[in-house]
Amino acid sequence: MEFMKNGKRIDDRLPNELRPIKFEVGPLERADGSCYVEHGGNKIIAAVYGPRAVHPRHLQEANRAIIRYRYNMASFSVEERRRPGPDRRSIEISKVSREAIDPVIIKEFYPRSTIDIFVEILQADAGTRSAGINAASVALADAGVPMRGLISSCAVGKVDDTVVLDLVKEEDNYGQADMPVAMDVRTGEVTLLQMDGHLTLDEFEQALELGKIGCASIAEMQREALIQKYRGEEDE
Amino acid sequence: MNDVIAEIRRDYIYGLAKRSERADGRALDEYRPIQVEVGLIGKAEGSARVKIGNTQVLVGVKVQPGEPFPDAPDTGVIITNVELVPLASPSFEPGPPDENAIELARVVDRGVRESGAIDLSQLTLPDGKVWLIFIDVHVLDHDGNLMDAAALGALAALVNAKKPCERYGYGPDAPLPIKESPIAVTAVDLDGEIMLDPSLDEETIASSRITVISGLQGALAGMQKSGTGTLSVEEIARIVKLASSKAMQIRDDLFGGSTDG
Amino acid sequence: MKKQEKLDKTIVVPGDLLSEDATKAAEGTYVENEKVYSLIYGLADEREKVRVIPLSGKYLPAIGDVVIGMVSDISFSNWKVDINSPYEALMHISEDPRRIESSEMAKIMGVGDLAIFKVVDVDPSMKIELAPREGQLRVLRSGRIVEVSYTKVPRVIGRAGSMISLLKSKLDVNIFVGKNGRIWINGKAEDEDLAVEVIKRIEQEAHTSGLTDRITKLLEEEKHGVHEKR
Repeated sequence: MEFMKNGKRIDDRLPNELRPIKFEVGPLERADGSCYVEHGGNKIIAAVYGPRAVHPRHLQEANRAIIRYRYNMASFSVEERRRPGPDRRSIEISKVSREAIDPVIIKEFYPRSTIDIFVEILQADAGTRSAGINAASVALADAGVPMRGLISSCAVGKVDDTVVLDLVKEEDNYGQADMPVAMDVRTGEVTLLQMDGHLTLDEFEQALELGKIGCASIAEMQREALIQKYRGEEDE
Repeated sequence: MNDVIAEIRRDYIYGLAKRSERADGRALDEYRPIQVEVGLIGKAEGSARVKIGNTQVLVGVKVQPGEPFPDAPDTGVIITNVELVPLASPSFEPGPPDENAIELARVVDRGVRESGAIDLSQLTLPDGKVWLIFIDVHVLDHDGNLMDAAALGALAALVNAKKPCERYGYGPDAPLPIKESPIAVTAVDLDGEIMLDPSLDEETIASSRITVISGLQGALAGMQKSGTGTLSVEEIARIVKLASSKAMQIRDDLFGGSTDG
Repeated sequence: MKKQEKLDKTIVVPGDLLSEDATKAAEGTYVENEKVYSLIYGLADEREKVRVIPLSGKYLPAIGDVVIGMVSDISFSNWKVDINSPYEALMHISEDPRRIESSEMAKIMGVGDLAIFKVVDVDPSMKIELAPREGQLRVLRSGRIVEVSYTKVPRVIGRAGSMISLLKSKLDVNIFVGKNGRIWINGKAEDEDLAVEVIKRIEQEAHTSGLTDRITKLLEEEKHGVHEKR
């Protein structure tokens, strides 16, 4: 399959272009914080409950909050209907996603409690874990959870020997490398890094640079969405 | 802790009920604003998002070829599932469907199946396979009356759905053979007062809840009483009449009298 | 018609740079490399100190706070009280001046009952102890409870109590605002309804300016105009 033609990708994007992204803050009533994101064909909703009491109690930590993250795909989110419930992939994604966001949360403010993050993939179109992390960060802010900064995430990869940003499904499935990355854009600290495929050291450095740029753009969008929520330019 | 309702709140709601009033100012037989949006999940063959007040559910219908049940080789298959995902309510926990999720799924399924909403005999395929229809209800926000929202979402998603014939080489895509329009109406009994479309508090306080599913002609396709309270025969008869006419009204408002979604 | 409400402060998100002067750091901020950053999603308030006022979040009790709590359970000699916080609070029977037997506890205050408490102790592990606000425990039996985010309580009370005084002057109700965002309203039924409506409105528009004027206007209209029964 040919991925690059005249410098453009199969969906007509340039190598360093993100797909269209839209954030909506606080769409849910019951959750303490929530965020809905559309990223390319991805439709994802994240919600935060907490800090709240931990059940079962033996999981609690005396000096700080625990963070729990559950990434879950709806049965209808993919082409072939998926049996509900966690599979090994969802469990791994939940773990690395939690570890991507945990570093910026000031857990010490809330001993013996839990901050629960739930991410539901309503429609999947490659890059769900990154989009989920982006939505989760915004949901945490919406819930009033104290953090050093927002975490932003995107996936970089390689197709037809070209390093590209924000892989679309075919690029993800049939390309040469896939590398999701997450960071606190302000400090440049990387909190999630996974790689699958083949990259030379040079290509890796290029990919990481491209990832930083992608995350920076996303951080701007996350920030803007949160600010818009309270701008009050809407009819009551 | 989420399940304990303040006595003062309980008293307030009962006090209002005695005067035929409700906390949010609705009439006893009035629904919160209902919004239905279809086709939002392109990957699913059919989808619908239903909001009743703040309650929100997303239903995806997946249609795929598969093996029929051995005892019904010429009949399509419907499989209904409800996920009470933890993001929808502080009281939902991760894990396999609990009794509430299963009850919701089975009642929605009954409504679709017993009303004959889908003509299952028209779902056969040339190679001995049949169309499998998966109705997956994903609850997003629980503010009372998940049942009606789920049932409505299922119907709207089925009407929106297309059989993906082209993808599998069975000719052009076509809608599902929809023959009926089952609408669920849920009522609660608060100290003798019957209210439709219970809010979260009303549902938590009420001792019984009853769902009535009726079709285009008002015929009943399903019923379910939930909760540990009791109802008299007269109360049930009253509820069934009320629910049946309410279902007509809801159907008219949303589908204009037919189900050409 | 779009209505633009004037925000009197700047909205910030976690990680936003607020000041290059570390000595100005106050609540809702943190210092890194001599600079002050926002810790939360909120409104930045810059005067001699820089602080960020939260727009959301959970109530954390402090000693001296007066709150409205609901009994969630009764154990041997403690009432377990939900104060709308990640932490459950306890009130020991000895905190009530009467001599109460363990067996009588449910009669004095049962599950689902509410009362006004003061927070007498909070330890580092967030173990919270309560006592009745004053004198004996008194269950709130009539009236309504409204819950708002604890972050909006200052707005409901108003500068020097101006907002709450406004409500009490125009409405025939008693209002008690708990620091934990629970508010008790008790009085004439229609006025209770109006009070609830006004408080919810204050919660929604807390961060805008001109709110007191709008609320005054709303109260005048509702009280003297045609008050439509829904």
